[in-house]
Amino acid sequence: MKARIAISWIIVGVPLIWGFSQTVIKSLALFQ
Amino acid sequence: MSFLDRDRTIAEPGYSRWLVPPAALAIHMCIGQAYAFSVFNLPMTKLIGITKAAPEDWKATTLAYVFSVAIVLLGLSAAVFGTWLERVGPRMAMFASACCFGGGFVVAALGVQTHQFWLVILGYGVIGGVGLGLGYISPVSTLIKWFPDRPGMATGMAIMGFGAGAMVGSPLAVNLMKYFATPTNLGVAQTMVAMGGIYFVIMMFGVFTVRVVPPGWKPAGWTAPTVHSKLITDAQVTAANAIKTPQFWLLWGVLFLNVSAGIGVLQTASPIIQQVMGVAPAAAAGFVGLLSIFNMLGRFFWSSTSDKIGRKPTYTIYFVLGAILYALIPTAAGAKSVPLFVIVVCVIMTMYGGGFATIPAYLRDLFGTVQVGAIHGRLLTAWSAAGVVGPLLINFMRDYQEERGVPKAQAYNTTMYILAGFLVLGFICNALVSPVDAKYNQPVKDPVPSANPATARAA
Repeated sequence: MKARIAISWIIVGVPLIWGFSQTVIKSLALFQ
Repeated sequence: MSFLDRDRTIAEPGYSRWLVPPAALAIHMCIGQAYAFSVFNLPMTKLIGITKAAPEDWKATTLAYVFSVAIVLLGLSAAVFGTWLERVGPRMAMFASACCFGGGFVVAALGVQTHQFWLVILGYGVIGGVGLGLGYISPVSTLIKWFPDRPGMATGMAIMGFGAGAMVGSPLAVNLMKYFATPTNLGVAQTMVAMGGIYFVIMMFGVFTVRVVPPGWKPAGWTAPTVHSKLITDAQVTAANAIKTPQFWLLWGVLFLNVSAGIGVLQTASPIIQQVMGVAPAAAAGFVGLLSIFNMLGRFFWSSTSDKIGRKPTYTIYFVLGAILYALIPTAAGAKSVPLFVIVVCVIMTMYGGGFATIPAYLRDLFGTVQVGAIHGRLLTAWSAAGVVGPLLINFMRDYQEERGVPKAQAYNTTMYILAGFLVLGFICNALVSPVDAKYNQPVKDPVPSANPATARAA
C-alpha cells in the first residue's frame, strides 16, 4: 500500500512540481 | 459501466485514505487549466493572419467570453448536478467530468480549425464548463468524509490543485503550440486536442483511484469531539433545506464578495505595477506568476489553519486583514514602493485562494456531511456571479473615471477603496453567521448503500 501511495503522489506531484518550477522561473524576472 | 457505480467504489480492506487526495488533485489540477485559458487568447486573434491579426480574425474582447461562459457553467452545473453526485458517488462524477473537460477541448479545437466561434464556446465554454463544475465538487464530499479530523486541510489540498492547474496548463500550452506550429498554422487546434487527451488520461487516474468511505469508518485512534463550537453541527441538513437557511445565503455573500474583490485585484495589480510604479512588462509578467504561487499556497495554508482556529475566525481574518491591505495598496503605489506593493498583493492573493478552499469545511460545519458536495455545488453559483459581475464592475469603474478625466493612478485608488468596501460587507455577512436552526435538520439515510462493515474496514 505504501508503494501505491507513493506512486499516486508521484503521478500528480511531477506535473505540479514542473508547473511550479516554470512559474518560479517566470517570477524571477520581477527581482532582476 | 458498473465499475463507476457507487457500490464498486467503497474502499476495500487496507485502502489508505492518503490515496484520496492525489485522486482529487488529479482532477483539480486538470480542470484548474481554466485559469490559464488566456494563454490561447493572443494566438486565437491571429488564426487567419498568422503573423498579425487579419480583419476576419476574432477580437480579444470576443474571446474573453469563452472563459466567462466556462465559469458560469461551472457554477450552474455544480448546482444542478450536486445531488446527482451525492447519489452516484465521486467516481461516476469524475468520469463524467473527464469526458466533458477532455471532450470540450476537442470540440473547441474543431471550432478553432474551422474558425467557427460558436463551436469554441460550445466546446470549452459549455461542455468544458460542465466538466469544470462536476470535477470541482466531485472529490469534496468524499475528502470531508475521509478526513473528519482535518476537513479543511483535505479539501484545501484538492482546491490548491485547482490553483496550481494554471501553473501546469499555461507552460504546457505554450510548449505544445511551439511544437505544433508551422509557418501556416499556429498549432492551437492541435494543442487543444493534445491537452484534451492528456487531461483525460490524468483525470482517469483520479477516477480509478478514488474510493468512498465504508459505513462506520473513522480514522484510527480518532474519536469525534464531544465538545465543540456551536457552529459545528452534529446534525445533517439536505441541500434542499440548506438553501432555505439564511446561513447558506450569508456564505453565498461571503464567497461572492471575497471572489469579486480578488478578481478586482487580479485585474488591476499588473496595470498598477506597470503604469503607476514603472515596472517593465517582463517583470510585471513575473509578478503575475508570483501571484499565482501565493494564490495556490494560500489555499492550503488558510484551509489547514481553519482546522485549528475555526472557519468563522479564518474568514474574519480574510475580511479584516484584507480590507486593511486593499486600502494600503494606494499608499504603496503612491510611495512607489515595489517591495511593499508586492508583499501586500501577495498576502491578499493567499486570502483570495483561501476563501475558495475554506468554504467546503465551513459548509460541513454548518450543515453536516450528508449532502455537503451538493450544498457546495449550489454555493459555487456565487463564484459564477462574481466571475461575471466582478470584471464588469471593475471595467465600469475604470471607464467612468476615465471619461471624467481622472488620472489613472487616482482611478486605481478609488477602485481599491471600493474593493475594500466589498470586504467590509463580507465581514458583516460572516459576522451574521450563526448555528442553523434545528427545524432544517433532517433525519437522512446515509446515501452510501449498505455494505458489509465487517469486510469494509479501510486503513
